[in-house]
Amino acid sequence: MKQKTRKIAAGLLGGLVAVSLAACGGGNASPGASTAAGGGGGDTGSSSGGSGTTIELAISKSSQDSAFVQQDLLDAFEKETGIKVNLQLLPAEQTATVLQTKLAVDETPDIIQYNLASATTDLNLERNFEILDDEPWVSRLENKEVLSAYGHVYSFHVSQDTGMQGVVYNKDIFDELGLSIPNNFEEFLAVCEKIKAAGITPVFMPYKDNWAANVWPAAAFADYADKNEPDLFEKINSNQKKWSDVPAFADILQQQYEVYEKGYTNGDLLSDSYDMAVGKFLNKEVAMMFMGDWLIQNVAENDPNMRLGLFPIPYTQDAKLGASPLGGQLFIPKKAKHMAEAKKFLDYVARKDVAQPIVDKQKYVSIFSDVTTPELPEYKQEIVDNYITPKKTVLTVDAHMLVDRSELYRLLQDEFAGGLDAQGVLTAWDEKFAQLMKDKEVEGF
Amino acid sequence: MKISRKLYSYYLIWPALLVYSVFFVVPAIIGLFYSFTDWRLDRVGLNFIGWDNFERIFTDKTLLLAIKNTLIFAVVTVIGKNLIGLALAVGLNMRLKSRNILRAIFYSPSILSVLVISIVFTPMLRSEGTINRIFESVGLDFLAQRWLTDPQIVIFTVAAISIWQHAGFQMAIYLAGLQSISKDYYEAATIDGAGAWRSFRSITLPLLLPALNINLMLTLIGGLKVFSEVFVLTGGGPGNASQVVGTIILRSFGEGSWGLGTAVNTLLFAAVTVIAIPLLIFMRRKEVSE
Repeated sequence: MKQKTRKIAAGLLGGLVAVSLAACGGGNASPGASTAAGGGGGDTGSSSGGSGTTIELAISKSSQDSAFVQQDLLDAFEKETGIKVNLQLLPAEQTATVLQTKLAVDETPDIIQYNLASATTDLNLERNFEILDDEPWVSRLENKEVLSAYGHVYSFHVSQDTGMQGVVYNKDIFDELGLSIPNNFEEFLAVCEKIKAAGITPVFMPYKDNWAANVWPAAAFADYADKNEPDLFEKINSNQKKWSDVPAFADILQQQYEVYEKGYTNGDLLSDSYDMAVGKFLNKEVAMMFMGDWLIQNVAENDPNMRLGLFPIPYTQDAKLGASPLGGQLFIPKKAKHMAEAKKFLDYVARKDVAQPIVDKQKYVSIFSDVTTPELPEYKQEIVDNYITPKKTVLTVDAHMLVDRSELYRLLQDEFAGGLDAQGVLTAWDEKFAQLMKDKEVEGF
Repeated sequence: MKISRKLYSYYLIWPALLVYSVFFVVPAIIGLFYSFTDWRLDRVGLNFIGWDNFERIFTDKTLLLAIKNTLIFAVVTVIGKNLIGLALAVGLNMRLKSRNILRAIFYSPSILSVLVISIVFTPMLRSEGTINRIFESVGLDFLAQRWLTDPQIVIFTVAAISIWQHAGFQMAIYLAGLQSISKDYYEAATIDGAGAWRSFRSITLPLLLPALNINLMLTLIGGLKVFSEVFVLTGGGPGNASQVVGTIILRSFGEGSWGLGTAVNTLLFAAVTVIAIPLLIFMRRKEVSE
């Protein structure tokens, strides 16, 4: 009788093998092709640094609209130098993991696009990446800071335009209802009430994507510290103070929850994701959202007549606009197999005649002294006039974080799922934060 | 002339053993070693830290929740997949005109990618989604739930979807088992006056034990190793409410805690072995011969 178990098991095993073989066969096409391309280049180019080489550029799939990986740019670069750029598109939610692994096992791409602030926490910048201080384009930089960490230029970009974070709002809806920009939390709730009465969802919270729940606190915490305790994050990062020791932090989290509790948001906020936001604004279903100004750009790409603007997170009187650290920089790993060619690519993109069209098309604030900034769209000009020029911006908490923040995002999501209250979020984050800092061997933990 | 009793030389085992060793045994042993170290993304060297990683697993609330969720998922899916799979198999072993088409229909979800299933189910399970609408339209409002966003029920929702997907696969194995039972037993039982339930209990079930055995093993191991369903449906959320051991391993690697990640993995491997092997031995003893 045991024979029967064996027979069935053998049959199953056979089936599984067949299925797995079929899967291998199907999936083979793309990785195979890219390896072949990479391998083919490897033997010709490594010494001379010239034509026939293929360099690998790794980028998150969610960033595939990046100006640096547009086919016409890559084609023009290949035509001039003979160096082919092969793209490795990484799945968005695994970008960090895949890159960490590649760096750990020395299978490094030649160029990586990543956010500088996250690269310092996720990818161990100092150990893994080349310092670019001596590159020819560095002398033309107007703003070295946005490409630097630990006092060195580690990354490359043609823009110095850091994303701004606050409340994205529909100006037309505000005009129609006779509303003005709220200047504190009570005014904000009053604005929400009026918008709700008009049958429009006041605030869209797509908190299925838990990072979106971080926009409100990231700007508000930073503004609070800036006004009341400028060295607060230094203290937190050296374990002299805990997140839960700051009563204002709990109040700020509670405020965001209150907006939801009072019914001013989409009902099923833990099922709604960020990718729905553009559609919600285009359909005028929602009036506001706690987000960065990149959302305004995305909406404008779909409908240039849509008038959206940005105001600071109104957690208190006269808050400053949150400025996120610049993202989307290019990095060269220390162990890049084609270091010279990778640097050549940066040189090429930095050239005035190449950088200018990119800056023009993307409406960037140029980082190079000899590349001119194009006329900015209305919303961006407003941000420059009302916030950047009068210095009413503050770097968000993200700029001060030394460790991975995704657990904080999950805890914020848990607040809306009903699992934790505001103080509970901070207490739980303290515990995780201390563990992560300890693992990172930060002094004081 | 002496006839060799061995059909093939045992040396033929070498190629398979080599592949198995290189891709499974060696990594498993290396993993065991790493799980006792503080291997991290941001460190060049690594230190032997004894049981620290394991101590951390059993003191971290999220990790304990993940272990609890994994056990809930395993128990619920083992029961659900086997009960429903067995019921389907018995039903579709009868002489029905439509039985071939029905078998195909019930089996079909198990060949779908879990990603497709997530895309289909996620909108249906929203607060104002199809499932709640159906409940409301027939007056069962109290059954309407926040299926994927209520921390209390989310793991059961994911388990239910997994049962829906895989019960048909279990059915196929039970069907194979059922068809190998000789009709003579049932005839004899009918002559002796046994009813349908009695026949099922005294003939079908004992002779089906080999199939039951395999199904229990497959569903139990699959349940303990759950990852993809949770990852695509909830990502472990809301918050950490539906984290399972599999998603925690991914999270640990994402945070750069490679040593901790491998420790959790080692623990999972040990747990699966400790639960599955004694169960297999126990169930095998129960098998009877025709």
